[in-house]
Amino acid sequence: MTDVTQTNQTDSSPTRSIWPTVWRWLQDSPIQPVAWPLLAILLLLPVVFRDAYLHRLLAASLLFGAQAMVFDFTGGYINAVNFGFAAFVGLGAYTSGLLAVNAGISPWIGMPAGALAAGLVGFITGALTLRLRGVYVSIMAWFVGLALMAVTYAMVGLTRGAQGINVPYLLETPDTLPYYYILLGMTVVIYVVLRLVIHSRVGLAFKAIGQNFEAARASGVDPTRYKLINFTLSCACAGLLGGFYAHFVGVLTPGMMVTDNTIEVMALSYIGGTGTLLGGLVTAFLITPLFDYLKGLMEIRLIIYGMLLILTMILYPAGLDGLFQWLVGRIKGRQKQG
Amino acid sequence: MNLTVLWNLLVTGILRGGLYALMAGGLALLFGVMNICNFAHGELFVVGAYVAYFAYVTFGLPPLLAILIAAGASFLVGALLEKSLILPLRRRSKGEWIMNTFLLTSGLSVVMQNTAQRVWGVRYRGITQYWAGTIRITPTMSVAVDRAVAFLIAVVGITGFWLFLRRTNVGRAIRAVSQNETGAMLVGIDLDNIQTLTFALGSMLAGLGGASMLSLIPAYPFAGGKPNITSWFVVTVVGLGNVSGSIVGGFIVGLVESFAFFYLGSGWQDVFSLGVIILILLVKPSGLFGSEVKGVLER
Repeated sequence: MTDVTQTNQTDSSPTRSIWPTVWRWLQDSPIQPVAWPLLAILLLLPVVFRDAYLHRLLAASLLFGAQAMVFDFTGGYINAVNFGFAAFVGLGAYTSGLLAVNAGISPWIGMPAGALAAGLVGFITGALTLRLRGVYVSIMAWFVGLALMAVTYAMVGLTRGAQGINVPYLLETPDTLPYYYILLGMTVVIYVVLRLVIHSRVGLAFKAIGQNFEAARASGVDPTRYKLINFTLSCACAGLLGGFYAHFVGVLTPGMMVTDNTIEVMALSYIGGTGTLLGGLVTAFLITPLFDYLKGLMEIRLIIYGMLLILTMILYPAGLDGLFQWLVGRIKGRQKQG
Repeated sequence: MNLTVLWNLLVTGILRGGLYALMAGGLALLFGVMNICNFAHGELFVVGAYVAYFAYVTFGLPPLLAILIAAGASFLVGALLEKSLILPLRRRSKGEWIMNTFLLTSGLSVVMQNTAQRVWGVRYRGITQYWAGTIRITPTMSVAVDRAVAFLIAVVGITGFWLFLRRTNVGRAIRAVSQNETGAMLVGIDLDNIQTLTFALGSMLAGLGGASMLSLIPAYPFAGGKPNITSWFVVTVVGLGNVSGSIVGGFIVGLVESFAFFYLGSGWQDVFSLGVIILILLVKPSGLFGSEVKGVLER
């Protein structure tokens, strides 16, 4: 979860070993070094433990984690918290679901269509507010989200309102494992795309100048344009994940767009550490299985989420990623001594 | 449209407007003075509603006393929250303070809602009225005494709050902090105390709203959602941090909502409100009456 801005310079002599060079290359590449073992674990875990319950847990964790990752892409990198996130996920889900139900369109086309719809609404929201201070984006995205939910409730003829709709499944098999691997593939693709944008010329410039608008303008970067690209992309990814959710779960209700769901994803990304992409993803795998035991007690689950969010913000803003970096630092320090 | 319908829409609009003005005034105060985006504002409305219910129904206290106790309780809860959560956050956070408060209070809101649900369940705790009777103006136009008094309480609350900010030394100190924090500190104002007081005052206004509207909105864990959204709507429309604007804005939004509800129904009314706010932000990002927060645009 290291970032390019904090590339480590442990070795300066080029003759001693090629590893520092490889390491640096890995860190600059679209996939961070820590992501490789993580990916390996996620690929192998369901094969090693052939248990249907575990597979469902993994898929649920991954779905939450991928959302947290996409959320962190705006929250952690351009400091614009998308407070209507769940509604953008819902927009993607409903777009794909309704296309399949009413027009018989394949989910494989429906999911990108959902991404397109969410991206478009995100683009309009962002275009209106991203030149304003960060909090306006959040409030506006929140209002847009509330309106999307209200529309979904109100358009009874199309969405059956609060009753919800049944959506055809993506695959014919009742087995969770194929879904899991499809989602994992989607997550990897999303991750690589997000990393490429972060490491693009504009993204790097944006990060390097510490999100300072004066400095950004002076160095020829248009901050609003970069923010708009970022926000639109994040909304589109949310829509894509929503599309997957629709054809994975098979039932859609407007309640999925409620602000509480946004806060849940937000808590994951903050507990994991902002500006890390993977922090929220890892946290989802730690917390989601834990909370599966509290299935019937939604309120306790939400209380814990809220408490964790508050405690992280007050006591340890660096989150799990901060803890991880600290540990890595300790191990490196010990190696140097030895 | 006949006169009775128009009258009823006006009464409902103005009554709701009083509530929104009360709540939005508190929210705007928090933003103006402390730069806090309080997402848990609706939860303090709920605190007021619950306390008023228990004082009035369970302990059988007279209505006015129950409402006063509720306002005092929200004041205390607000002060406690500021000291235990906002103050540590302020000590910790370097940049991005506004965003951090928004996130912290949204976490707080989830915790408070669900704790209330855990403790008291989802049951509605409402009353039909504090005061019986109706005031007749013409044979067809009337207003319930209960509503009229609730509105009066809102007006008294807003006026008292206004006078407090304008006429007392503490009020002047609060306004001084909102204008220039460093300057206020230099003339010997204790920032920590002023900020706790401000947060408590804002909370009290929300609690007062919750208590006086108990007959209209019963106390239940998620009762704060709608008032929270609407007061956010008001402060965004008039301009973040603009206290006097929020009071006017509260009445405007109350009236618009009442008519939009009548013509469009509850589902589409929200969509209509959103359309209005998009138009306003498009033309004037600082809101209708201008924001008192420096630098609406990020530059």
